[in-house]
Amino acid sequence: MRNNLSRWIYWVVGLVILAIYPQVVGIYYTNVFVGFAIFGLYAVTLNLLLGYMGVLSFGHAMFFGAGAYSTALALTHIQGFPLLPALLVGGLAGAMLALILCPLLVRVSGTAFAMLTLAFGQLIFVIALKYREVTGGEDGVGGYPIPSFNIPGVVSIDMTDQINFYYFAVTVIIVCLWLLWFYTKTPFGSLVVGVRDNAMRIDYLGFKLPQTKAVNLIVSGCFAGIAGAIYALFQNLVSTLGVLDIGTSFAPILMAYIGGLGSFFGPIVGSAILHLLEDVTFRITEQIELVNGLVFILVVLFAPMGIVGLLRQAKAKWFHKEKVS
Amino acid sequence: MNILETEGLYHDFSGLLVLFDVNLEVKEGERHAIIGPNGAGKTTLFNVITGTYSPSRGRVTFKGKEVTGWKPHNLTRVGMGRSFQITSTFSRLTTFQNIRMGILSKRRIRFNLFRKVDKMQNITEETDDVLKRINLDGERDLPASMLSYGKHRSLEISMALATDPDLVMLDEPTAGMSRDETHHAVELIRRLTEGKTVVIIEHDMDVVFSLADRITVLHLGHILASGPPGEIRESQAVKDAYLGETEV
Repeated sequence: MRNNLSRWIYWVVGLVILAIYPQVVGIYYTNVFVGFAIFGLYAVTLNLLLGYMGVLSFGHAMFFGAGAYSTALALTHIQGFPLLPALLVGGLAGAMLALILCPLLVRVSGTAFAMLTLAFGQLIFVIALKYREVTGGEDGVGGYPIPSFNIPGVVSIDMTDQINFYYFAVTVIIVCLWLLWFYTKTPFGSLVVGVRDNAMRIDYLGFKLPQTKAVNLIVSGCFAGIAGAIYALFQNLVSTLGVLDIGTSFAPILMAYIGGLGSFFGPIVGSAILHLLEDVTFRITEQIELVNGLVFILVVLFAPMGIVGLLRQAKAKWFHKEKVS
Repeated sequence: MNILETEGLYHDFSGLLVLFDVNLEVKEGERHAIIGPNGAGKTTLFNVITGTYSPSRGRVTFKGKEVTGWKPHNLTRVGMGRSFQITSTFSRLTTFQNIRMGILSKRRIRFNLFRKVDKMQNITEETDDVLKRINLDGERDLPASMLSYGKHRSLEISMALATDPDLVMLDEPTAGMSRDETHHAVELIRRLTEGKTVVIIEHDMDVVFSLADRITVLHLGHILASGPPGEIRESQAVKDAYLGETEV
Protein backbone atom coordinates (compact mmCIF):
# COMPACT_ATOMS: atom_id res chain seq x y z
CA MET A 1 0.00 0.00 0.00
CA ARG A 2 2.72 2.42 1.03
CA ASN A 3 4.76 1.27 -1.92
CA ASN A 4 1.86 2.06 -4.20
CA LEU A 5 1.47 5.50 -2.69
CA SER A 6 5.13 6.40 -3.07
CA ARG A 7 5.01 5.21 -6.65
CA TRP A 8 2.09 7.52 -7.34
CA ILE A 9 3.98 10.39 -5.71
CA TYR A 10 7.02 9.72 -7.93
CA TRP A 11 4.80 9.73 -11.01
CA VAL A 12 3.02 12.94 -10.08
CA VAL A 13 6.23 14.76 -9.16
CA GLY A 14 7.90 13.55 -12.35
CA LEU A 15 5.02 14.65 -14.53
CA VAL A 16 4.79 18.05 -12.84
CA ILE A 17 8.51 18.62 -13.41
CA LEU A 18 8.09 17.64 -17.07
CA ALA A 19 5.08 19.95 -17.38
CA ILE A 20 6.76 23.07 -16.01
CA TYR A 21 10.20 22.29 -17.46
CA PRO A 22 9.88 24.34 -20.70
CA GLN A 23 8.57 27.37 -18.76
CA VAL A 24 11.57 27.25 -16.45
CA VAL A 25 14.49 26.60 -18.78
CA GLY A 26 13.47 28.34 -21.97
CA ILE A 27 13.27 27.17 -25.55
CA TYR A 28 16.86 26.11 -26.07
CA TYR A 29 16.93 23.55 -23.28
CA THR A 30 13.43 22.46 -24.14
CA ASN A 31 14.74 21.36 -27.52
CA VAL A 32 17.79 19.75 -25.93
CA PHE A 33 15.38 17.78 -23.79
CA VAL A 34 13.36 16.59 -26.79
CA GLY A 35 16.58 15.43 -28.45
CA PHE A 36 17.59 13.62 -25.28
CA ALA A 37 14.17 11.96 -24.96
CA ILE A 38 14.15 10.77 -28.58
CA PHE A 39 17.59 9.23 -28.19
CA GLY A 40 16.61 7.84 -24.80
CA LEU A 41 13.78 5.87 -26.42
CA TYR A 42 16.03 4.88 -29.30
CA ALA A 43 18.76 3.67 -26.92
CA VAL A 44 16.21 1.65 -24.94
CA THR A 45 15.20 -0.19 -28.12
CA LEU A 46 18.87 -1.00 -28.72
CA ASN A 47 19.14 -2.27 -25.16
CA LEU A 48 16.24 -4.66 -25.85
CA LEU A 49 18.73 -6.39 -28.13
CA LEU A 50 21.98 -5.73 -26.27
CA GLY A 51 21.04 -5.92 -22.61
CA TYR A 52 18.01 -8.18 -22.79
CA MET A 53 18.71 -10.57 -25.66
CA GLY A 54 22.51 -10.36 -25.59
CA VAL A 55 23.22 -9.39 -29.19
CA LEU A 56 25.06 -6.25 -30.26
CA SER A 57 23.57 -4.37 -33.19
CA PHE A 58 26.06 -2.17 -35.05
CA GLY A 59 23.42 -1.04 -37.52
CA HIS A 60 20.57 0.04 -35.31
CA ALA A 61 20.36 3.34 -37.21
CA MET A 62 18.69 1.48 -40.08
CA PHE A 63 15.52 1.07 -37.97
CA PHE A 64 15.72 4.66 -36.72
CA GLY A 65 16.39 5.89 -40.26
CA ALA A 66 13.65 3.76 -41.80
CA GLY A 67 11.18 5.33 -39.39
CA ALA A 68 12.46 8.86 -39.96
CA TYR A 69 12.51 8.58 -43.76
CA SER A 70 9.08 6.93 -43.96
CA THR A 71 7.50 9.64 -41.86
CA ALA A 72 9.26 12.39 -43.80
CA LEU A 73 8.30 10.89 -47.17
CA ALA A 74 4.70 10.30 -46.13
CA LEU A 75 4.42 13.92 -45.01
CA THR A 76 6.09 15.19 -48.18
CA HIS A 77 4.03 13.22 -50.67
CA ILE A 78 0.63 12.83 -49.05
CA GLN A 79 -1.26 16.04 -48.59
CA GLY A 80 -2.76 16.54 -45.16
CA PHE A 81 -1.23 13.38 -43.67
CA PRO A 82 -2.24 13.44 -40.00
CA LEU A 83 0.14 13.44 -37.05
CA LEU A 84 -0.47 10.14 -35.28
CA PRO A 85 -0.50 8.05 -38.47
CA ALA A 86 2.80 9.74 -39.32
CA LEU A 87 4.24 8.24 -36.15
CA LEU A 88 2.70 4.86 -36.89
CA VAL A 89 4.17 4.86 -40.39
CA GLY A 90 7.60 5.26 -38.82
CA GLY A 91 7.01 2.41 -36.39
CA LEU A 92 5.63 0.23 -39.14
CA ALA A 93 8.65 0.91 -41.34
CA GLY A 94 11.04 -0.07 -38.55
CA ALA A 95 9.04 -3.22 -37.84
CA MET A 96 8.85 -4.15 -41.52
CA LEU A 97 12.59 -3.75 -41.95
CA ALA A 98 13.18 -5.96 -38.89
CA LEU A 99 10.70 -8.50 -40.24
CA ILE A 100 12.51 -8.62 -43.59
CA LEU A 101 15.92 -9.05 -41.97
CA CYS A 102 14.95 -11.41 -39.16
CA PRO A 103 15.17 -14.67 -41.15
CA LEU A 104 18.90 -13.96 -41.36
CA LEU A 105 19.44 -12.21 -38.05
CA VAL A 106 17.80 -14.84 -35.83
CA ARG A 107 20.19 -17.49 -37.08
CA VAL A 108 23.29 -15.77 -35.79
CA SER A 109 24.52 -14.30 -32.56
CA GLY A 110 27.70 -12.76 -31.18
CA THR A 111 30.15 -11.33 -33.69
CA ALA A 112 28.20 -12.58 -36.69
CA PHE A 113 25.13 -10.67 -35.55
CA ALA A 114 27.17 -7.50 -35.06
CA MET A 115 28.75 -7.83 -38.51
CA LEU A 116 25.46 -8.61 -40.27
CA THR A 117 23.70 -5.63 -38.71
CA LEU A 118 26.71 -3.46 -39.56
CA ALA A 119 26.55 -4.64 -43.17
CA PHE A 120 22.81 -4.07 -43.53
CA GLY A 121 23.05 -0.71 -41.78
CA GLN A 122 25.73 0.44 -44.19
CA LEU A 123 23.88 -1.01 -47.16
CA ILE A 124 20.77 0.97 -46.32
CA PHE A 125 22.90 4.07 -45.69
CA VAL A 126 24.38 3.79 -49.18
CA ILE A 127 21.02 3.08 -50.80
CA ALA A 128 19.57 6.21 -49.16
CA LEU A 129 22.60 8.17 -50.33
CA LYS A 130 22.41 7.01 -53.95
CA TYR A 131 18.69 6.72 -54.55
CA ARG A 132 18.38 10.49 -54.91
CA GLU A 133 14.99 10.57 -56.67
CA VAL A 134 13.33 9.35 -53.49
CA THR A 135 15.63 10.21 -50.64
CA GLY A 136 17.21 13.38 -51.87
CA GLY A 137 20.70 11.94 -51.42
CA GLU A 138 22.94 13.94 -49.11
CA ASP A 139 20.49 16.80 -48.93
CA GLY A 140 17.82 14.51 -47.56
CA VAL A 141 14.14 15.20 -47.28
CA GLY A 142 13.12 18.40 -45.61
CA GLY A 143 10.64 21.23 -45.41
CA TYR A 144 7.62 18.95 -45.29
CA PRO A 145 4.55 20.27 -43.46
CA ILE A 146 4.29 19.27 -39.81
CA PRO A 147 0.65 18.38 -39.17
CA SER A 148 -1.22 19.71 -36.16
CA PHE A 149 -2.52 17.47 -33.43
CA ASN A 150 -6.14 17.25 -34.42
CA ILE A 151 -9.17 15.82 -32.75
CA PRO A 152 -11.95 17.01 -35.07
CA GLY A 153 -14.35 19.34 -33.36
CA VAL A 154 -12.47 19.23 -30.06
CA VAL A 155 -8.98 20.53 -30.35
CA SER A 156 -6.28 21.42 -32.86
CA ILE A 157 -2.80 22.04 -31.56
CA ASP A 158 -0.11 23.57 -33.74
CA MET A 159 2.95 21.31 -33.70
CA THR A 160 5.30 23.81 -35.30
CA ASP A 161 5.21 25.56 -31.97
CA GLN A 162 8.22 24.14 -30.16
CA ILE A 163 6.63 24.15 -26.72
CA ASN A 164 3.59 22.29 -28.00
CA PHE A 165 5.82 19.83 -29.75
CA TYR A 166 7.75 19.27 -26.54
CA TYR A 167 4.57 18.17 -24.76
CA PHE A 168 3.54 15.97 -27.66
CA ALA A 169 6.94 14.28 -28.04
CA VAL A 170 7.41 13.73 -24.32
CA THR A 171 3.93 12.22 -24.03
CA VAL A 172 4.50 9.84 -26.93
CA ILE A 173 7.92 8.85 -25.61
CA ILE A 174 6.64 8.19 -22.09
CA VAL A 175 3.85 6.02 -23.49
CA CYS A 176 6.34 4.12 -25.65
CA LEU A 177 8.75 3.65 -22.74
CA TRP A 178 5.94 2.41 -20.54
CA LEU A 179 4.87 -0.08 -23.21
CA LEU A 180 8.44 -1.32 -23.60
CA TRP A 181 8.93 -1.54 -19.85
CA PHE A 182 5.75 -3.58 -19.57
CA TYR A 183 6.95 -5.73 -22.45
CA THR A 184 10.12 -6.66 -20.56
CA LYS A 185 7.99 -7.72 -17.58
CA THR A 186 5.74 -10.12 -19.50
CA PRO A 187 6.40 -13.87 -19.68
CA PHE A 188 7.71 -13.26 -23.17
CA GLY A 189 10.12 -10.64 -21.83
CA SER A 190 11.49 -13.16 -19.37
CA LEU A 191 11.95 -15.56 -22.26
CA VAL A 192 14.08 -13.00 -24.11
CA VAL A 193 16.35 -12.71 -21.07
CA GLY A 194 16.58 -16.49 -21.07
CA VAL A 195 17.79 -16.39 -24.66
CA ARG A 196 20.59 -14.06 -23.55
CA ASP A 197 21.71 -16.34 -20.72
CA ASN A 198 21.35 -19.71 -22.42
CA ALA A 199 19.74 -19.99 -25.82
CA MET A 200 20.18 -23.76 -25.99
CA ARG A 201 18.29 -24.28 -22.75
CA ILE A 202 15.41 -22.16 -24.03
CA ASP A 203 15.14 -24.61 -26.92
CA TYR A 204 15.32 -27.59 -24.56
CA LEU A 205 12.59 -26.12 -22.39
CA GLY A 206 10.20 -26.20 -25.31
CA PHE A 207 10.35 -22.63 -26.62
CA LYS A 208 10.94 -21.81 -30.27
CA LEU A 209 14.21 -19.94 -30.35
CA PRO A 210 14.11 -18.25 -33.80
CA GLN A 211 10.54 -17.02 -33.33
CA THR A 212 11.35 -15.63 -29.90
CA LYS A 213 14.34 -13.73 -31.25
CA ALA A 214 12.34 -12.53 -34.25
CA VAL A 215 9.53 -11.04 -32.16
CA ASN A 216 12.02 -9.19 -29.98
CA LEU A 217 13.82 -7.87 -33.07
CA ILE A 218 10.56 -6.63 -34.54
CA VAL A 219 9.51 -4.93 -31.30
CA SER A 220 12.91 -3.27 -31.09
CA GLY A 221 12.79 -2.22 -34.74
CA CYS A 222 9.25 -0.88 -34.42
CA PHE A 223 9.98 1.40 -31.47
CA ALA A 224 13.29 2.52 -32.96
CA GLY A 225 11.21 3.47 -36.00
CA ILE A 226 8.83 5.48 -33.82
CA ALA A 227 11.83 7.27 -32.28
CA GLY A 228 12.96 8.05 -35.83
CA ALA A 229 9.50 9.33 -36.72
CA ILE A 230 9.50 11.71 -33.75
CA TYR A 231 12.96 12.84 -34.83
CA ALA A 232 11.64 13.56 -38.33
CA LEU A 233 8.80 15.65 -36.92
CA PHE A 234 11.19 17.40 -34.55
CA GLN A 235 13.89 18.33 -37.06
CA ASN A 236 11.71 18.79 -40.15
CA LEU A 237 14.74 17.47 -42.04
CA VAL A 238 15.86 13.88 -42.54
CA SER A 239 19.19 13.22 -44.20
CA THR A 240 21.51 10.26 -44.32
CA LEU A 241 24.10 11.87 -42.09
CA GLY A 242 21.61 12.54 -39.34
CA VAL A 243 19.65 9.31 -39.15
CA LEU A 244 21.41 6.50 -41.03
CA ASP A 245 25.14 7.01 -40.62
CA ILE A 246 27.36 4.90 -38.44
CA GLY A 247 27.41 7.59 -35.78
CA THR A 248 23.66 7.20 -35.33
CA SER A 249 24.24 3.47 -34.89
CA PHE A 250 26.97 3.96 -32.33
CA ALA A 251 25.26 6.66 -30.26
CA PRO A 252 22.74 4.32 -28.60
CA ILE A 253 25.49 1.77 -27.93
CA LEU A 254 27.46 4.43 -26.06
CA MET A 255 24.32 5.53 -24.22
CA ALA A 256 23.41 1.98 -23.23
CA TYR A 257 26.91 1.21 -21.98
CA ILE A 258 27.36 4.48 -20.13
CA GLY A 259 23.93 4.34 -18.55
CA GLY A 260 24.06 0.64 -17.80
CA LEU A 261 23.03 -2.43 -19.77
CA GLY A 262 21.61 -4.23 -16.78
CA SER A 263 18.73 -1.85 -16.27
CA PHE A 264 15.77 -0.79 -18.36
CA PHE A 265 16.32 2.90 -17.59
CA GLY A 266 20.11 2.80 -17.96
CA PRO A 267 20.14 3.87 -21.62
CA ILE A 268 17.92 6.86 -20.80
CA VAL A 269 20.42 7.95 -18.16
CA GLY A 270 23.16 7.41 -20.73
CA SER A 271 21.30 9.58 -23.23
CA ALA A 272 20.93 12.32 -20.63
CA ILE A 273 24.63 12.22 -19.75
CA LEU A 274 25.76 12.35 -23.38
CA HIS A 275 23.39 15.19 -24.24
CA LEU A 276 24.49 17.24 -21.26
CA LEU A 277 28.10 16.47 -22.04
CA GLU A 278 27.62 17.53 -25.63
CA ASP A 279 26.07 20.79 -24.55
CA VAL A 280 28.96 21.58 -22.23
CA THR A 281 31.65 20.37 -24.62
CA PHE A 282 30.35 22.45 -27.49
CA ARG A 283 31.12 25.62 -25.56
CA ILE A 284 34.79 24.68 -25.38
CA THR A 285 35.59 22.57 -28.40
CA GLU A 286 33.98 20.81 -31.31
CA GLN A 287 35.71 17.51 -30.58
CA ILE A 288 32.63 15.85 -29.08
CA GLU A 289 33.59 12.38 -30.22
CA LEU A 290 36.86 12.67 -28.36
CA VAL A 291 35.10 13.49 -25.10
CA ASN A 292 32.42 10.82 -25.65
CA GLY A 293 35.11 8.26 -26.34
CA LEU A 294 37.00 9.18 -23.19
CA VAL A 295 33.87 8.90 -21.09
CA PHE A 296 33.10 5.54 -22.70
CA ILE A 297 36.58 4.23 -21.88
CA LEU A 298 36.32 5.46 -18.30
CA VAL A 299 32.93 3.81 -17.84
CA VAL A 300 34.11 0.50 -19.31
CA LEU A 301 37.21 0.56 -17.09
CA PHE A 302 35.72 1.70 -13.82
CA ALA A 303 31.97 1.07 -14.00
CA PRO A 304 31.34 -1.82 -16.38
CA MET A 305 27.72 -1.97 -15.25
CA GLY A 306 27.28 1.70 -16.20
CA ILE A 307 26.17 4.63 -14.12
CA VAL A 308 22.99 2.91 -12.99
CA GLY A 309 25.05 -0.10 -11.92
CA LEU A 310 27.33 2.22 -9.98
CA LEU A 311 24.38 3.82 -8.22
CA ARG A 312 22.92 0.42 -7.37
CA GLN A 313 26.23 -0.66 -5.92
CA ALA A 314 26.48 2.49 -3.87
CA LYS A 315 22.94 2.01 -2.64
CA ALA A 316 23.57 -1.61 -1.68
CA LYS A 317 26.73 -0.60 0.18
CA TRP A 318 25.00 2.23 1.97
CA PHE A 319 22.03 0.14 3.08
CA HIS A 320 24.35 -2.63 4.09
CA LYS A 321 26.33 -0.27 6.32
CA GLU A 322 23.15 1.00 7.85
CA LYS A 323 22.08 -2.52 8.71
CA VAL A 324 25.44 -3.34 10.27
CA SER A 325 25.51 -0.26 12.45
CA MET B 1 5.27 -50.88 -23.82
CA ASN B 2 8.38 -49.10 -24.99
CA ILE B 3 8.24 -45.35 -24.54
CA LEU B 4 11.51 -44.83 -26.38
CA GLU B 5 13.14 -46.92 -29.08
CA THR B 6 16.07 -46.43 -31.38
CA GLU B 7 16.48 -48.65 -34.38
CA GLY B 8 19.82 -49.03 -36.14
CA LEU B 9 21.02 -45.62 -35.02
CA TYR B 10 24.28 -44.43 -36.58
CA HIS B 11 26.03 -41.14 -36.03
CA ASP B 12 29.33 -39.90 -37.33
CA PHE B 13 31.25 -36.67 -36.94
CA SER B 14 32.69 -36.05 -40.44
CA GLY B 15 33.59 -39.69 -40.93
CA LEU B 16 34.37 -40.61 -37.34
CA LEU B 17 31.74 -43.18 -36.44
CA VAL B 18 30.55 -42.48 -32.90
CA LEU B 19 27.33 -44.50 -32.79
CA PHE B 20 27.11 -47.80 -34.58
CA ASP B 21 23.84 -49.69 -34.99
CA VAL B 22 22.39 -48.71 -31.62
CA ASN B 23 19.10 -50.42 -30.80
CA LEU B 24 17.92 -49.08 -27.49
CA GLU B 25 14.61 -49.98 -25.90
CA VAL B 26 13.28 -48.10 -22.89
CA LYS B 27 10.11 -49.44 -21.26
CA GLU B 28 7.53 -47.08 -19.89
CA GLY B 29 8.04 -46.40 -16.18
CA GLU B 30 11.48 -47.93 -15.83
CA ARG B 31 14.72 -46.33 -14.70
CA HIS B 32 17.17 -47.14 -17.41
CA ALA B 33 20.88 -46.49 -16.92
CA ILE B 34 23.34 -46.15 -19.75
CA ILE B 35 26.90 -46.88 -18.74
CA GLY B 36 30.11 -47.25 -20.64
CA PRO B 37 33.73 -46.07 -20.65
CA ASN B 38 34.65 -42.52 -21.63
CA GLY B 39 34.16 -41.94 -25.31
CA ALA B 40 31.66 -44.78 -25.65
CA GLY B 41 29.17 -42.38 -27.23
CA LYS B 42 26.72 -42.01 -24.35
CA THR B 43 26.30 -38.24 -24.58
CA THR B 44 26.19 -38.42 -28.38
CA LEU B 45 23.40 -40.96 -28.09
CA PHE B 46 21.58 -38.50 -25.82
CA ASN B 47 22.20 -35.67 -28.26
CA VAL B 48 20.83 -37.67 -31.17
CA ILE B 49 17.74 -38.74 -29.23
CA THR B 50 16.96 -35.29 -27.81
CA GLY B 51 17.45 -33.41 -31.07
CA THR B 52 20.83 -31.69 -30.73
CA TYR B 53 21.92 -33.67 -33.80
CA SER B 54 20.06 -35.61 -36.43
CA PRO B 55 21.33 -39.19 -36.69
CA SER B 56 23.23 -40.16 -39.85
CA ARG B 57 21.03 -43.23 -40.14
CA GLY B 58 18.32 -44.96 -38.17
CA ARG B 59 15.11 -44.12 -36.40
CA VAL B 60 14.11 -42.75 -33.04
CA THR B 61 10.60 -43.56 -31.83
CA PHE B 62 9.04 -41.81 -28.84
CA LYS B 63 5.63 -42.88 -27.52
CA GLY B 64 5.07 -44.84 -30.69
CA LYS B 65 5.70 -41.87 -32.93
CA GLU B 66 8.76 -41.43 -35.11
CA VAL B 67 10.68 -38.37 -33.93
CA THR B 68 13.95 -38.81 -35.79
CA GLY B 69 15.61 -35.44 -36.29
CA TRP B 70 12.99 -33.47 -34.35
CA LYS B 71 14.17 -30.24 -32.77
CA PRO B 72 14.54 -30.08 -28.98
CA HIS B 73 11.58 -27.74 -28.43
CA ASN B 74 9.25 -30.09 -30.30
CA LEU B 75 10.46 -33.08 -28.30
CA THR B 76 9.96 -31.14 -25.08
CA ARG B 77 6.42 -30.34 -26.13
CA VAL B 78 5.56 -34.01 -26.58
CA GLY B 79 6.98 -34.87 -23.17
CA MET B 80 10.73 -35.42 -23.26
CA GLY B 81 12.94 -33.59 -20.76
CA ARG B 82 16.70 -33.44 -20.57
CA SER B 83 19.43 -32.32 -18.20
CA PHE B 84 23.02 -31.71 -19.14
CA GLN B 85 26.36 -33.09 -18.06
CA ILE B 86 27.84 -29.61 -18.04
CA THR B 87 25.49 -27.48 -15.95
CA SER B 88 23.42 -25.37 -18.28
CA THR B 89 21.17 -23.01 -16.35
CA PHE B 90 20.30 -19.35 -16.85
CA SER B 91 23.26 -18.19 -14.82
CA ARG B 92 22.27 -14.55 -14.29
CA LEU B 93 18.65 -15.32 -13.47
CA THR B 94 17.59 -16.31 -9.96
CA THR B 95 16.84 -19.87 -8.95
CA PHE B 96 13.18 -18.92 -8.93
CA GLN B 97 13.31 -17.50 -12.46
CA ASN B 98 15.15 -20.59 -13.71
CA ILE B 99 12.45 -22.93 -12.50
CA ARG B 100 9.71 -20.53 -13.59
CA MET B 101 10.94 -20.79 -17.16
CA GLY B 102 10.15 -24.50 -17.04
CA ILE B 103 6.75 -23.91 -15.44
CA LEU B 104 5.85 -21.34 -18.14
CA SER B 105 6.73 -23.91 -20.77
CA LYS B 106 4.67 -26.58 -19.04
CA ARG B 107 1.67 -24.20 -18.92
CA ARG B 108 2.31 -23.38 -22.59
CA ILE B 109 2.69 -19.67 -21.86
CA ARG B 110 4.99 -18.46 -24.60
CA PHE B 111 4.00 -15.37 -26.51
CA ASN B 112 2.00 -13.74 -23.74
CA LEU B 113 2.52 -9.99 -23.94
CA PHE B 114 -0.44 -8.76 -21.94
CA ARG B 115 0.29 -9.67 -18.35
CA LYS B 116 3.20 -9.23 -16.03
CA VAL B 117 4.77 -12.55 -15.28
CA ASP B 118 5.30 -11.55 -11.65
CA LYS B 119 1.57 -11.06 -11.26
CA MET B 120 0.69 -14.55 -12.45
CA GLN B 121 -0.15 -15.97 -9.05
CA ASN B 122 -0.57 -19.58 -10.12
CA ILE B 123 2.82 -19.60 -11.86
CA THR B 124 4.53 -18.09 -8.82
CA GLU B 125 2.87 -20.58 -6.47
CA GLU B 126 3.75 -23.56 -8.60
CA THR B 127 7.35 -22.40 -8.93
CA ASP B 128 7.65 -21.91 -5.17
CA ASP B 129 6.20 -25.39 -4.68
CA VAL B 130 8.88 -26.88 -6.89
CA LEU B 131 11.59 -24.91 -5.08
CA LYS B 132 10.38 -26.29 -1.76
CA ARG B 133 10.37 -29.83 -3.07
CA ILE B 134 13.95 -29.54 -4.28
CA ASN B 135 15.10 -27.75 -1.10
CA LEU B 136 16.14 -24.62 -2.93
CA ASP B 137 13.55 -22.30 -1.37
CA GLY B 138 16.32 -20.78 0.76
CA GLU B 139 18.16 -19.77 -2.40
CA ARG B 140 15.04 -18.51 -4.16
CA ASP B 141 16.38 -15.07 -5.10
CA LEU B 142 20.02 -15.95 -5.59
CA PRO B 143 21.40 -15.90 -9.14
CA ALA B 144 22.00 -19.45 -10.35
CA SER B 145 25.70 -18.73 -10.76
CA MET B 146 25.99 -18.05 -7.00
CA LEU B 147 24.68 -21.46 -5.96
CA SER B 148 27.03 -24.06 -4.52
CA TYR B 149 28.03 -26.76 -6.98
CA GLY B 150 25.70 -29.37 -5.53
CA LYS B 151 22.72 -27.03 -5.46
CA HIS B 152 23.46 -25.81 -8.97
CA ARG B 153 23.38 -29.43 -10.12
CA SER B 154 20.06 -29.96 -8.33
CA LEU B 155 18.71 -26.93 -10.17
CA GLU B 156 19.96 -28.36 -13.45
CA ILE B 157 18.14 -31.64 -12.85
CA SER B 158 15.01 -29.90 -11.61
CA MET B 159 14.78 -27.68 -14.70
CA ALA B 160 14.56 -30.80 -16.83
CA LEU B 161 11.70 -31.96 -14.63
CA ALA B 162 9.91 -28.61 -14.35
CA THR B 163 8.21 -29.07 -17.72
CA ASP B 164 6.66 -32.26 -16.31
CA PRO B 165 7.98 -34.65 -18.95
CA ASP B 166 7.00 -38.31 -19.25
CA LEU B 167 10.53 -39.29 -20.16
CA VAL B 168 13.51 -37.67 -18.43
CA MET B 169 16.98 -37.96 -19.88
CA LEU B 170 19.61 -37.20 -17.24
CA ASP B 171 23.16 -36.84 -18.50
CA GLU B 172 25.47 -37.63 -15.56
CA PRO B 173 23.38 -35.86 -12.94
CA THR B 174 25.95 -36.48 -10.19
CA ALA B 175 29.02 -35.46 -12.20
CA GLY B 176 31.59 -33.84 -9.95
CA MET B 177 29.53 -34.16 -6.77
CA SER B 178 30.91 -35.15 -3.39
CA ARG B 179 29.70 -38.41 -1.73
CA ASP B 180 27.22 -36.47 0.31
CA GLU B 181 25.91 -34.43 -2.57
CA THR B 182 25.60 -37.55 -4.71
CA HIS B 183 23.53 -39.19 -2.02
CA HIS B 184 21.20 -36.19 -1.88
CA ALA B 185 20.98 -36.00 -5.67
CA VAL B 186 20.01 -39.66 -5.94
CA GLU B 187 17.30 -39.15 -3.34
CA LEU B 188 16.11 -36.09 -5.26
CA ILE B 189 15.99 -37.96 -8.54
CA ARG B 190 14.17 -40.88 -6.93
CA ARG B 191 11.62 -38.53 -5.39
CA LEU B 192 11.02 -36.28 -8.40
CA THR B 193 10.85 -39.00 -11.04
CA GLU B 194 8.19 -41.04 -9.26
CA GLY B 195 6.02 -42.55 -11.98
CA LYS B 196 8.17 -41.21 -14.82
CA THR B 197 10.47 -42.99 -17.19
CA VAL B 198 14.12 -42.10 -16.60
CA VAL B 199 17.12 -42.64 -18.81
CA ILE B 200 20.29 -41.80 -16.96
CA ILE B 201 23.93 -41.71 -17.97
CA GLU B 202 26.06 -42.38 -14.94
CA HIS B 203 29.62 -43.24 -14.05
CA ASP B 204 29.09 -43.87 -10.37
CA MET B 205 28.35 -47.60 -10.13
CA ASP B 206 26.77 -47.27 -6.70
CA VAL B 207 24.27 -44.84 -8.16
CA VAL B 208 23.63 -47.03 -11.17
CA PHE B 209 23.01 -50.21 -9.21
CA SER B 210 20.88 -48.51 -6.58
CA LEU B 211 18.74 -46.56 -9.02
CA ALA B 212 18.38 -48.51 -12.25
CA ASP B 213 15.85 -51.17 -13.16
CA ARG B 214 17.70 -51.91 -16.33
CA ILE B 215 21.18 -51.16 -17.57
CA THR B 216 22.51 -50.75 -21.08
CA VAL B 217 26.24 -50.89 -21.62
CA LEU B 218 27.59 -48.83 -24.47
CA HIS B 219 31.09 -49.59 -25.72
CA LEU B 220 32.78 -47.98 -28.72
CA GLY B 221 29.46 -46.70 -29.99
CA HIS B 222 27.73 -50.05 -29.84
CA ILE B 223 25.44 -51.70 -27.31
CA LEU B 224 27.39 -54.42 -25.57
CA ALA B 225 24.69 -55.68 -23.27
CA SER B 226 21.31 -54.67 -21.93
CA GLY B 227 19.44 -56.15 -19.02
CA PRO B 228 18.65 -56.05 -15.32
CA PRO B 229 21.47 -55.00 -12.94
CA GLY B 230 22.18 -58.55 -11.76
CA GLU B 231 22.68 -59.81 -15.27
CA ILE B 232 24.97 -56.93 -16.22
CA ARG B 233 27.05 -57.43 -13.08
CA GLU B 234 27.65 -61.05 -14.07
CA SER B 235 28.29 -60.46 -17.77
CA GLN B 236 31.86 -61.31 -18.74
CA ALA B 237 31.85 -59.05 -21.78
CA VAL B 238 30.85 -56.08 -19.67
CA LYS B 239 33.48 -56.87 -17.07
CA ASP B 240 36.13 -56.99 -19.74
CA ALA B 241 35.06 -53.74 -21.35
CA TYR B 242 34.28 -51.65 -18.38
CA LEU B 243 33.71 -52.89 -14.88
CA GLY B 244 37.02 -54.71 -14.75
CA GLU B 245 38.93 -51.49 -15.23
CA THR B 246 37.57 -49.94 -12.08
CA GLU B 247 38.94 -52.78 -9.96
CA VAL B 248 42.50 -52.20 -11.05
